[in-house]
Amino acid sequence: MNGRGGGRGGSNNGGNRNWKDQQKRGGSNNGGNGAAGGPQKRPRNGTGNDGGDNDDDFGEEFLELEDQIAAELAADLPPEEYEQLNASSTETINEDTKLSWRRPSVPPLDVKNESLTLQWLDVDMTVGKRLEKNPAGGRVPGAPSGLVPILRFYGVSPVGNSVAVFVHGFTPYLYASCPASFMGSEASFRKAMNDRLLADRQRGGNRGGGGAAGTESNDLCLGASIETDKRSILGYVADPNQTFYKIYVATPNLVPTVKRVLEDGLEVPGFGRLHGVLTFESNVPFVLRFMIDKDITGAGWLECPKGTYRVRGEREKESHCQIEADIVYESLEGHRPEGQWSKLAPLRILSTDIECQGRKGHFPEAEKDPVIQIANCLTVQGEREPIVQNVLTLRGCLPIVGAQVLTHEKEEDLLLSWRAFVQEADPDILTGYNIANFDLPYLLRRADTLVKRAPKLKVFKELGRLRRTLATMKDTTFQSSAYGKRENVETTVHGRVVFDLLPYMFRNHKLSSYSLNSVSAEFLGQQKEDVHHSIISDLQNGTDEDRRRLAVYCIKDALLPWKLMEKLSVLVNYVEMARVTGVPMAFLLTRGQQIKVFSMLLRKCRQSALLIPNLPKNRQDEGTYEGATVIEPKKAFYQDPIATLDFASLYPSIMQAFNLCYSTLLSREEKQALPPSSYITTPSQESFVKPSVRKGILPLILDELLAARKRAKRDMAAATDPMEKAVQNGRQLALKISANSVYGFTGATVGQLPCIPIASSVTSYGRDLLYQTKAFVEEHYTIEKGCSANAEVVYGDTDSVMVRFGVPTVEEAMPLAERAAEEVTKIFPPPIKLEFEKVYFPYLLMNKKRYAGLLWTRPDKYDKLDTKGLETVRRDNCLLVRRVIDTCLRKILIDRDVPGAIGYCKHVIAELLQNKMDISLLVITKALGKSADESGYAAKQAHVELAMRMKKRDPGTAPNVGDRVAYVIIQAGKGAPAYERSEDPVYVLENRIPIDTDYYLQNQLSNPLTRLFEPIIDNPGRRGGREGGRKGGRERRCKEEIGGIGGLGRGLFASFGRSRGKACHGWVVPPCPLPVPPLPSRSPSLPSPSSSPTESLLSGDHTRSIARPTPTAKAGGIMMFAVKKLKCLGCKTPIPETEKSTLCVHCAPREAEIYTQKALEVAGHEGVFAKLWTQCQRCQGSFHQDILCSNRDCPIFYKRKKVQKDLADAQYALDRFAF
Amino acid sequence: MFEARLTEGSLLKKIIEAIKDLVQEANVDCSEEGLTMQAMDASHVSLCSLNMRHGGFDHYRCDRSISLGLNLANLGKILKCAGNDDVVTLKAEDEPDTLTLMFESPNQERISDFELKLMDIETEHLGIPNEEYKCTISMPSGEFQRIVRDLAVIGETCIITCTKEGVKFSVSGDLGNGNVTVRQSSAADGDEKDQVKIQMEEPVTLNFALRYLGFFTKATPLGSTVKLHMSPDVPIVVEYPIDGIGSISYFLAPKIDED
Repeated sequence: MNGRGGGRGGSNNGGNRNWKDQQKRGGSNNGGNGAAGGPQKRPRNGTGNDGGDNDDDFGEEFLELEDQIAAELAADLPPEEYEQLNASSTETINEDTKLSWRRPSVPPLDVKNESLTLQWLDVDMTVGKRLEKNPAGGRVPGAPSGLVPILRFYGVSPVGNSVAVFVHGFTPYLYASCPASFMGSEASFRKAMNDRLLADRQRGGNRGGGGAAGTESNDLCLGASIETDKRSILGYVADPNQTFYKIYVATPNLVPTVKRVLEDGLEVPGFGRLHGVLTFESNVPFVLRFMIDKDITGAGWLECPKGTYRVRGEREKESHCQIEADIVYESLEGHRPEGQWSKLAPLRILSTDIECQGRKGHFPEAEKDPVIQIANCLTVQGEREPIVQNVLTLRGCLPIVGAQVLTHEKEEDLLLSWRAFVQEADPDILTGYNIANFDLPYLLRRADTLVKRAPKLKVFKELGRLRRTLATMKDTTFQSSAYGKRENVETTVHGRVVFDLLPYMFRNHKLSSYSLNSVSAEFLGQQKEDVHHSIISDLQNGTDEDRRRLAVYCIKDALLPWKLMEKLSVLVNYVEMARVTGVPMAFLLTRGQQIKVFSMLLRKCRQSALLIPNLPKNRQDEGTYEGATVIEPKKAFYQDPIATLDFASLYPSIMQAFNLCYSTLLSREEKQALPPSSYITTPSQESFVKPSVRKGILPLILDELLAARKRAKRDMAAATDPMEKAVQNGRQLALKISANSVYGFTGATVGQLPCIPIASSVTSYGRDLLYQTKAFVEEHYTIEKGCSANAEVVYGDTDSVMVRFGVPTVEEAMPLAERAAEEVTKIFPPPIKLEFEKVYFPYLLMNKKRYAGLLWTRPDKYDKLDTKGLETVRRDNCLLVRRVIDTCLRKILIDRDVPGAIGYCKHVIAELLQNKMDISLLVITKALGKSADESGYAAKQAHVELAMRMKKRDPGTAPNVGDRVAYVIIQAGKGAPAYERSEDPVYVLENRIPIDTDYYLQNQLSNPLTRLFEPIIDNPGRRGGREGGRKGGRERRCKEEIGGIGGLGRGLFASFGRSRGKACHGWVVPPCPLPVPPLPSRSPSLPSPSSSPTESLLSGDHTRSIARPTPTAKAGGIMMFAVKKLKCLGCKTPIPETEKSTLCVHCAPREAEIYTQKALEVAGHEGVFAKLWTQCQRCQGSFHQDILCSNRDCPIFYKRKKVQKDLADAQYALDRFAF
Repeated sequence: MFEARLTEGSLLKKIIEAIKDLVQEANVDCSEEGLTMQAMDASHVSLCSLNMRHGGFDHYRCDRSISLGLNLANLGKILKCAGNDDVVTLKAEDEPDTLTLMFESPNQERISDFELKLMDIETEHLGIPNEEYKCTISMPSGEFQRIVRDLAVIGETCIITCTKEGVKFSVSGDLGNGNVTVRQSSAADGDEKDQVKIQMEEPVTLNFALRYLGFFTKATPLGSTVKLHMSPDVPIVVEYPIDGIGSISYFLAPKIDED
């Protein structure tokens, strides 16, 4: 081995720089080629693909990994200075504190008799000198000279030590089809290829500027062998003879070069010219190649068996890991994640949040605005509480219970202290909310800015595990059909997995808001104080107490992501997904779906001696194919049980049952040669051989996945330890998702290995099965066949049919459905299985993909209310719609109270019209894509215009690009366009601007409600009365009492107000103050709705009581000049200006009563306000300070604002009595 | 008990026509003195105020003050059922749920009655403080209507400049600009109705949204004359006197230049 650690590091540096140069050359050589584009053109959807939904682009993968190497410290930082800076960066922190951060110390390790095990999470690749001596004895495989690829696995030992394993000797290779006439050409081929590669390098080298050329080897193509025992996966060919070159190259970046050379043409002396040769598996990332060949799964356990590895001494270490070992790849063992190896190591997770001191009106910019606080929450996987919580602050800060507070006078010290923390704590996973796009890049950029005045920050960016290696950033665009287009900053922190929770939420949960606050509210039931970034600056400039406040807030932001991770078993599920699909964890975060299937496919093919071709991309000719089918729904409100029969894993089971695979697909010619009994023809007229001839790879993969899922489910049921249960659950989920994504892989036309015949066959079978099921059920379950009624399929979609057996109870429906499922299963080949899972009773079928019902899996009690496709998740709806739809469904389905539901709707509409609605329910949010002054939007959009107006009012609090703009629709003159009617909810509350209730009725509530009630009542959407569609003559006849709505109460005291209406003159004892939920779901005092068919939801008496708030003078217009005139508090008639009385002469006798009412009103508002205030105080964790929170996702915020206003009004009214 | 009888029923129709585009729902306050109504338009830029003195009615009775919450569009629809010469009587209880409208043809051959359901409108009672206006312009209502209509073709904002010589209405827009100046009539000029009179203490220049002035001119059928009251930095008052019974006035806040 190398003598001195420093020397080794130095030589490595030289090599790495050189490596980068090579890449640049490679890039400039094939610049235009999307698949092998150079590193300069980093965005993943390369220039070659113009914006299609290219899920993955494997070709660039090599370069991807290489990029990570290119970040070592520049030569201008000599090793001595580095050591000194490195040492001094931690000086300021006291030793005890550091000790509390550290990992457990390393127990003595006997290399000869003990093996070294680790669970690995991250891997990267470098190039360096070959290992001189194999610790296991024997020779070191791989290139004999020059720079060789070295894989670095980072992980954690079972006791929690960090380990880096350097794996040597693995050689990259690819396959290429070899014409039979080239048999025996290995040596000549190798030489020809090597010469060609050298020439390529030479050409590039003149341009790129050499480097340490002396360390380079002249062996680029290390070998070529001809293999005859393998076949291409594509298509069934009876003839087993196919020959391939297996070509070994020195470094992974040569693989695409070889591919290109072979496609362009290569002269092999003595044999002729190879041209347009198809390469195989030339698009497999090097790391994945290694993992597949060694059967190592992602995030699995690795073992360096005793006597085969060498532990590096402290001085030769290249990383900050506690243990660093060298091993030759052949000796390394990967464990299947079974038994003891299914456990998780005590991984360290660091969740971080930073606060910056922005300027008013600007989003913080790293070039200008300082970082003022960094909060950390360090946890160990499997432990309930964080082991360290701390906050690093700029300037003083008072102590915080349960957290370390480290104060700093200079920003550079703050940053360095954080680096010291990261290095001491040595986390395996860095998490946080939006850290990848904000916190980490901000810190790195900030260090870049500050380094000019504080040279000691030169080492700040060394946050990863590699010594002298800086974290890097690059902008990426991730586009995938499943996740949409996202622009990201990808930060590489070597050896640590950056796991940002925000993209995870985007990917896995459909939410109306993705702010940490609302996500926490959704999953943890926790709200946090939301300090607007314009206030942060004031707090920072305040006292130690103010900064403590900020720190508490910051710590909470660091804690919440970890809590979310725990709650959602994020880590466990991702680890299991990595294990099941066999890709590194990082791929799951940064890559699409396809790489997972590709990995599984490669692994299976390796066992079956099949090779996967690297087909040319962008074949547009594949076209589309017919997807799944939907059986036309019979829209109705079914008051009898509807049984749902589902195909279990329909698409995977079709592929299994009919042996659909790349390797079983028959071409027309091959089909001629086979007897008809040996193949099947699918409904889409493709042919596949039967399993008896050859079992397909995809069915094999699916067999295993589904079998493994069954096992995992069994283990989950048997598990006693909750952690174990979570792991098995994560596993079975991962298996299920993986099985389902196989079909998608074959159908992704711009994917890795699309095969439309397979995909279209799958869907065609799917459609067939669905129709056959419908026919069977409707034929066999009839009165003639002894059933009590004729069965009827009321609806079916993709893999399920809804059957109405005509029996009145769930008990009777269940056995029928079970029997039907069994019988239908019998008519299909295994493993296609129709399962009976649930009964809907009652069932409200509104339209295609739109239904709701009570779901029963047992006859005695329903499980839950299940809905599909309703306005419950769409974000351009306000919360009110969701709330109303949800409550109506509950009333209709659970309480079986249709009149109640109608009554509720009317009640809500009445509240809306009377301005009693909680405004948070009316808020609509939309993301601000581009600022309005940019020409980004052609048409004026409501939220964009509003953002512009808000900027004029107060640039500090106006939404920025990327923020979600919250707005409500306000009233405006006739014909005013929608973009003029959007307004900031807070502004609306403060200025009492009237809400456009009609908009909410017509554009928000009307359609969903009409759809919902359509199957139930006639004409739900008719709006006769309010618009006055009826002629006066009829008006006369429907003389009804207006529901006694006094309209006195307002806001939260809705029902209180109502009970005090004109109808009851007595003294009313008010009910106890209402609880916080804004919509009392039941209102006993409502007039009982008549269920006459002409009764309409959106019009009628309940719409005849309205309230119109008077805007404040600030709202502009005529209100700057108008004055409010006094009105009688009893009957609302105006009081002549000459009199200053409170009541008119007619109401004067009721003075005592009215005064009491008003007093109660004030008391009520006060009560509500006090409650809301306390709630907010609780949330901010302090009872001694003002509430600063302006969280626009929080309903309490709006309620607080509103009740504040209402209280002031009520107080004013009361004061008029002047007692 | 509230009862008001108006021989000229078409007047009521015209009033509703003059308001209903600006205001959809409003409280009509009935008191011993008569009927009043004031309401803002939806975007709270203008305010409309109706005043009908009790003396203007053939018969008027109001035992106690009441507020009638009306949907003006619906009221308009009912009024369409009345003939132009019909006598209209409005009736309501002391705590009314409905407003009864009775239409009688002049020769008493046809009597119809309708009931309009009332709304419960919770809103503040607003007023614009009385002011001594610097300029008061009196002009034929048809002329004003025409100016507003013409200028609205060109632009959105109208500058009204009142000087001794006359009133200048100016507009500029994408397609060009325009000015209409109306001169003070000399006393000898014909009919009083067609005269333009300017009373002025000092010149005033104000900007207004033509859209709203357009809404106001819906009141043109109510009378031959319109009065414009203006002072710097306060709303303009566009007042249509209704012969013998009262007036309808519109207040419009001036546009303040945003820079």
